[in-house]
Amino acid sequence: MEHKILRLSLFNLKKNKREVLGIVFMTMITVMMLSIVLINSRKIDTAYDESFARSGSVTRAVQFKMDKYRNAFRTILEEQYGIENVSEGRWIYTNMVDVRSSDGDIVAYNMVFLTEKTERKIEAFRKLDQLPAEEIDRLSHPIWLPVAFQIVKGYDVGDDFVVLKNGKEYPFTIAGFYETGLMNNDGWQYKLVLSEEDYTLFAMLFDSSSMWECIALFFDSPDFAYDRYLEDCNAVASENLSYTSSYYYKEGEKINETSFLKIFMMMITGISVVTLIASLFMIRHKITGDIEDQMQQIGVLEALGYRSAEISLAYLFEYVIAGGSGAILGAGLAILITPAVNSAIGIMMGRIVSESTGMGGALIAAVAILFLVVVFALLKAGQVKNYPPVVALRKGIKTHHFGKNILPLEKMRMNINAGLALKAFFGNLRSSAGIFFCIVTAGTAILFGAMTYDFFKAGWTGFASIMGTDWDVLKVYTLGNVDVDAFREELLSMPEVRKAIKVYSGEHVSVKGSSKNAEVITFGDYADAENIHPYQGRFPKYDNEIMIGMSRSRDEHVGIGDSIVLEYNGLEKNYIVTGIVGTLQNGGTVVFLTNEGYERLNIFAEQTVVQTYPAEGVKIRELEDAINAHFGGTTKAAAEGETQAAGRDERIRAAAEEKIAVLLNQYGVTDVDYAVQIGDEMITGNSRGFVIREYFSYEGIVKTQMLPIAETTKSFCLYALILVAAIVAVLITIITSNDVRRQRHTLGIMKGLGYSSKDLMLQLALKYMPVIICGTMIATMCGIWVNKLFWGFSFAVVTKINVAVIVITDLLLIVFCFAVAYLSAGRIRKISVTELMTE
Amino acid sequence: MASSVLRTEKLCKSFSNGGVQQHVIKNLDVEIIEGDFTVIMGASGSGKSTLLYALSGMDKPSMGKIWFGDTQIQDFSNDELAVFRRGNCGFVFQSVYLLENQTVLDNVLTGALIVQKNSPELVKKAKDLLKKVGIAEEMWKKYPNQLSGGEAQRVGIVRAIINDPKILFADEPTGQLNSASGKDVLDIFTEVHKNGQSIVLVTHDLKTALRATRVLYLRDGGIVGDHRMAVYGEEEEKTRRASLTAFLEEMGW
Repeated sequence: MEHKILRLSLFNLKKNKREVLGIVFMTMITVMMLSIVLINSRKIDTAYDESFARSGSVTRAVQFKMDKYRNAFRTILEEQYGIENVSEGRWIYTNMVDVRSSDGDIVAYNMVFLTEKTERKIEAFRKLDQLPAEEIDRLSHPIWLPVAFQIVKGYDVGDDFVVLKNGKEYPFTIAGFYETGLMNNDGWQYKLVLSEEDYTLFAMLFDSSSMWECIALFFDSPDFAYDRYLEDCNAVASENLSYTSSYYYKEGEKINETSFLKIFMMMITGISVVTLIASLFMIRHKITGDIEDQMQQIGVLEALGYRSAEISLAYLFEYVIAGGSGAILGAGLAILITPAVNSAIGIMMGRIVSESTGMGGALIAAVAILFLVVVFALLKAGQVKNYPPVVALRKGIKTHHFGKNILPLEKMRMNINAGLALKAFFGNLRSSAGIFFCIVTAGTAILFGAMTYDFFKAGWTGFASIMGTDWDVLKVYTLGNVDVDAFREELLSMPEVRKAIKVYSGEHVSVKGSSKNAEVITFGDYADAENIHPYQGRFPKYDNEIMIGMSRSRDEHVGIGDSIVLEYNGLEKNYIVTGIVGTLQNGGTVVFLTNEGYERLNIFAEQTVVQTYPAEGVKIRELEDAINAHFGGTTKAAAEGETQAAGRDERIRAAAEEKIAVLLNQYGVTDVDYAVQIGDEMITGNSRGFVIREYFSYEGIVKTQMLPIAETTKSFCLYALILVAAIVAVLITIITSNDVRRQRHTLGIMKGLGYSSKDLMLQLALKYMPVIICGTMIATMCGIWVNKLFWGFSFAVVTKINVAVIVITDLLLIVFCFAVAYLSAGRIRKISVTELMTE
Repeated sequence: MASSVLRTEKLCKSFSNGGVQQHVIKNLDVEIIEGDFTVIMGASGSGKSTLLYALSGMDKPSMGKIWFGDTQIQDFSNDELAVFRRGNCGFVFQSVYLLENQTVLDNVLTGALIVQKNSPELVKKAKDLLKKVGIAEEMWKKYPNQLSGGEAQRVGIVRAIINDPKILFADEPTGQLNSASGKDVLDIFTEVHKNGQSIVLVTHDLKTALRATRVLYLRDGGIVGDHRMAVYGEEEEKTRRASLTAFLEEMGW
């Protein structure tokens, strides 16, 4: 008896090869995706921990600006917090300093520079690839980089690593790479090891808004509360140290390094859910079709004494075989590509990831999916019991129609093919529900993928557009004695300048009741802001109004109309929230005030920054060069001895100006006059030639932090789109083929009546259109919602919806489904009228 | 003189079965005359249905030529044949082959709307024809499974003639009907013929063949006998039966 049942299974498998292959494919993709998620979700966690452990790093580091540090800060740690083995070192902290990338482009990194001696206080300084020792000894400026620079940024040992500051280049040679625990990512900081000489030079040269020397404390502690510690330090120092200190810790950096990977895993899980739903629907569709197709055979078997449960087994075996094959293939594929996925994880994390097969995860995924397939098939195959022999032998009651005639042809005025397609659709609404659900699920994935792809298609500029700040600008820091209004007017007269506005920049304040300090962004009039778009409410207009980032609003439960108290140097002021904006700036913690609003809080504030917008087609660096040419360079460049003079007098003037620049730049001096006597000759000059202190632009850091994410996401979306489209194609092919098989008789009669294969293919394809169009419309709404959820949840920002992309994607999806259905219905051509009539 | 509506020249039809070629129709020449009620008879397996499907463009011949009026159709693709059949051929099948999921009226209109645009006149024509064959209005919204065999076949005939085909082809139209229903159906065929419709019908039933004006006898893939009779009802039934029986006996039936 079992033999007979098995034979029926094998017969079904052989007869419907295309459908079976479809189920094998879908199960394979589902298992493969799920295996990747199961294997690698854990891998992401362990890879970071393993790398951290190998580096031998402390888990925490706190830095204070050199002139703010007090020995008591260390004592607090040791005595108040009971932390043992606290070590102390110096490093140079930099915020967005330009570097020439391995391919010659200029990018910016947040970095700290330190010596090997300090590095060894933090961790074991585990060197990986490096130049031979004798070559390193010969290098005049060796530098050791975290291994992320090798894995992610494409540098190699022996390459040049050029730091750019105020137009001057500081070239180093990469001696080697090392595995680091802390500071190994774009989002936070990189830690670079210099020679003692180079460190001393850097420490002397740089003290600006973006680069300063710090004292850092390194230690391990399982439950260290930085906010509380900082309050204790503030109390000792009697000042707010939050603007000049930073905290680096393992857990935070782990989140930073792994969060995007986890988002990818979520996306892959989403796709595997789409395939799983499609697989289950296909199985449901196929079993129903098979049972209807083989009704008389079922009747004969029942009449011969087979129980319905035994007959159901035939269908079950079929899916155990098809699903099992798919599951084995999927698990095998997942194991096969695990090394490649490991390597991708390594690249995305910037860490060395040990290889593993992930056999366990693949096995779990395969068994789980096979179990689901079998249970689903069993439930569906159970419908055999609804057909006792008499009913089955009469091909079931389903072939008999008694219902209302929907869309009678008598009243139909449309094309007959469209009319018959509509009739068929309405006459079989129940079976459309499954297709609808699948199209909604797959369509949502496609719409989300298309929107995300579109967002990233221009690379990092898409991401930059949601930064919530005007990033494509050059901030010009003027010297204290400069008439900023006149300077601004002069800037506006330059053809390279489109717009110049006075702002406050880089100012930090405390937010009462919040652990997150805020960088302040100000505008005199927010009509000038070009890349800040309130998500809710409006920009601040008056000096007691404030706009906040979405993440602060969400995390601290502050909404429009609520009050926020800002504190600066002991002064507190109340502000009313007028707007909420999606912003990536400082993790969304920034606050937006009017210039007057900030001056209320910082009564000594002086507006010395002019935010300069380049004219159309002018790059930031070109703008900087033009301003330099117009105004005569920055004091920073002069102080760093960039001037190259030829004659004696010029050399003397250059030396004098260098001294003046140091006085202006580092000691707050506002006016300097000099006179140098050489024999009878007197060379005189003053500081009035200096106007600009330094420049700052976001471009480099935006590019550095966002380009890899943009490129990876774009590629992922493209592949995901292709995969989901393939799933949709397989699904529609199977449904259509099944439909042709089930309606072979009717289609034969229609051919006999003079309907051509093309007419019938058109009818069949059109039959699915109402459900595909409705499904696509619902999927559009779901896609927009998922997109909003994704950006809101992942980055606390809102992206603009590109209606054209949505409309085009919808149309393409509908046309694609139609084309696949039409082509899949090509089997109709093989239906021979005479064969049908004479059977 | 009546003109030819369909003509074949050295028509052949072969089937391959397990690598063995079986020649069912062999170099067959036949001419169907406009307005004739032609019945094709022959023993089982003689190729009657095969010939009918080849003549009607339902199937392609293996060799030879078929002229449908002035059009040669033997080289048409399947889709070209389908389009050709729409306006030129009507079919009545032994198993009726009504569309199970469509009502009586929709079954008729499905055949009509592929050729003609929907119009009140067309719907009226369909309803008139249904009434004419005895399908009352209350049955128009019924589905095929709610009809008797005879009723279903009458609907099948209306569906076949709604487009005024040049030839109405029928394959054993009474084969699955009881004698009363069979007679009703044959009466409809006779009436349709008297209205000028050319008919080609395959049968092995004497009563059906009696309705013909011409009986062709098929043996070994070729026409071996061609018997002409007057229009049904214009001569005495007894005489007609005797003449046909004699012809068939001569043919070895």
